[in-house]
Amino acid sequence: MAYIRSNQQSFNSPHAAKMSEGQCQRLYWACLEILERTGVCLYNQEAIDLLDKAGASVTDGNRVRIPAGMVEKAFSTVPKNVALYNRNGQRKIQAGGHRSYFGTGSDCLNIIDHRTGERRLAVLQDIVDGMKVCDALDNIDFVMCMFLPSDVPQDILDRYEMEAMLNHTIKPIFYVTTEFAGCKAAVEMAEIVAGGADALRHYPFAACYINVTTGLRHNEEALQKLLFLSEKGLPFTYIPSAQGGVTAPITIAGTMAVNNAGVLAGLVISQLKREGTPFIMPGWGGNMLDMKTTVQPYADPEKRSQAIDFSHFLGLPTFSLGGCSESKMVDQQAAAEAALTLFTDALFGGNLVHDVGYLESGMSGSLPQLVICDEVISWIEAFMHEVVITDETLALDLIDEVGPDGQYLDNPHTMKHFRDRWYPNLFERSNYDSWQKKGGKDLGTRATDVVEKIVNEHEPERLPDDIAKAVHEVVLKEL
Amino acid sequence: MIETEKIIEAILIGDDDKVKVLTLEEINKGERAGEIMREGLIAGMTKVGEQMEAEEMFIPEVLMSARAMSAGVEVLKPHLKTEDAAVRGKVVIGTVEGDLHDIGKNLVKMLIEGAGFEVIDLGTNVEKDRFIKAVQENNADILGMSALLTTTMPSMQVIIEALKKAGIRDQVKIIVGGAPVTEEYAQEIGADAYGPDAGSAVRVINSIL
Repeated sequence: MAYIRSNQQSFNSPHAAKMSEGQCQRLYWACLEILERTGVCLYNQEAIDLLDKAGASVTDGNRVRIPAGMVEKAFSTVPKNVALYNRNGQRKIQAGGHRSYFGTGSDCLNIIDHRTGERRLAVLQDIVDGMKVCDALDNIDFVMCMFLPSDVPQDILDRYEMEAMLNHTIKPIFYVTTEFAGCKAAVEMAEIVAGGADALRHYPFAACYINVTTGLRHNEEALQKLLFLSEKGLPFTYIPSAQGGVTAPITIAGTMAVNNAGVLAGLVISQLKREGTPFIMPGWGGNMLDMKTTVQPYADPEKRSQAIDFSHFLGLPTFSLGGCSESKMVDQQAAAEAALTLFTDALFGGNLVHDVGYLESGMSGSLPQLVICDEVISWIEAFMHEVVITDETLALDLIDEVGPDGQYLDNPHTMKHFRDRWYPNLFERSNYDSWQKKGGKDLGTRATDVVEKIVNEHEPERLPDDIAKAVHEVVLKEL
Repeated sequence: MIETEKIIEAILIGDDDKVKVLTLEEINKGERAGEIMREGLIAGMTKVGEQMEAEEMFIPEVLMSARAMSAGVEVLKPHLKTEDAAVRGKVVIGTVEGDLHDIGKNLVKMLIEGAGFEVIDLGTNVEKDRFIKAVQENNADILGMSALLTTTMPSMQVIIEALKKAGIRDQVKIIVGGAPVTEEYAQEIGADAYGPDAGSAVRVINSIL
């Protein structure tokens, strides 16, 4: 029997949007107007000269006004996707479009110690433990160092962070460095591990997170890093941090216009330095200063999703933001904010969702919180699955065969498909008695148990001894 | 020597063909059917029950294991002597009057059948007298009652009282279960045991026999 069905349509996933194409277009024009009319202040001579030579207007030494045509040209050379590999050269991430990947954040000053529940200054061993946990968790796709180590020489702490990441996980890395020299050292370490500069460029497993003062004010270190990495053809994020009500208008649209004007300025410089340089933009938009507490909230509902829509409009991969919370501890607020932020970023298609496991607006981090987020991501992944409507899944012959009074529990069709359904690892579904028998533990306690088990038992794949030694020499070079 | 490990493994993965072959091999080697039953098949299902209770196995897998066990029992039946009867005991089971829920009850039935018991399933909405008659006529070792509703749960007590009146309460062990039923309630109404879920049914029955 021929099986012909014409005009079939299906969804492969849920879909959502907050901004229309028209709204994105207007925001884009606003960014172009800011760049042409107001311009940006750049604190790096090479960047100014590059723009000057390409046709921008430079006044007052470092005030640069960029014509729209230069931005349009940059879009013709920047890649729409950024691929990231793991330490072993396996392609793991294809950031771009609506594909979502998840990873931790960097540099929390404090840790909520899972052994004691106490908040204390973080140390290097916390990064080591954190990387082990990231390495073991299925749904953590890339890592950032999570914590600021307080027990190493502070002027080169970023080298220790990079070394700990390289040593304790094979997953793709986003590194953050305070000074430009730290960025060069991180690249040097990554090149040693990759087996040379060419190998790292072809199989990048480490990317730099570049933070920029604000949309219209680009600090020296950020521009140095951008130029250095562009020249090397290595991927990086370029994240201006315009803050609504302080360094940009308080409105979401105003903050986004200022911030993304800065993103586009960075984009132009990167493509002028080297056409084809991979460039990753922020996946959140409309940072605000909480006018009661002066905190910059991470789990703010209003800064979510529109930047992801905008990135899809522009065709740039995003460094997105989820799994984070303003709560001071691993509690109900932390779980709720983490789940909501992960969910919205995944639903809208943010690409590299970072800051998973952040608490206290980035002031502290928690490994059990990270484990809880891993479970939330697993839930979201199942939620995002398409519904498969086929003869096999409808099973009409089976329904007729079993009849209204029959049951399906021991049917081969059940055996074949029951694993298609999602089961939790950490979320509790047992009946009350079974749950009690297992210790009657709440979510935080169960997550803590998982952390303890991973930290004690998981052995990430080690770097070869000579490589690890060479990496360590880079760390100590400036001591 | 019976290769119990192999049989237990075949039951755990629910491979009925393999269980049949292994059981036959043991018979051909001259092993005693009763011992193959106890040390291989029943030991395998005991392990299945443990894994199910520990939430390490999925119900369809458990039922495949039960099916594999039954395949083994069929091979053994002609060789079993009277003292190691194929059936470990008779269980009368049903959902009490006014209650039409049978998913849990059916699961328990399949599992205890898989563990080598003969099950007389009275279905759902079972009146008091049918329970009593079935216990008497089958000379049952176990009576299992299920209720999902708080409104139908009290029937269990009524039936236990009726068994007492009929003078046969002590001939049968009573196990109760269902979502609203608790250990305390089971004790209060004078049942012998309570199973919080299907996975525990076999273990609980074994513990009171």
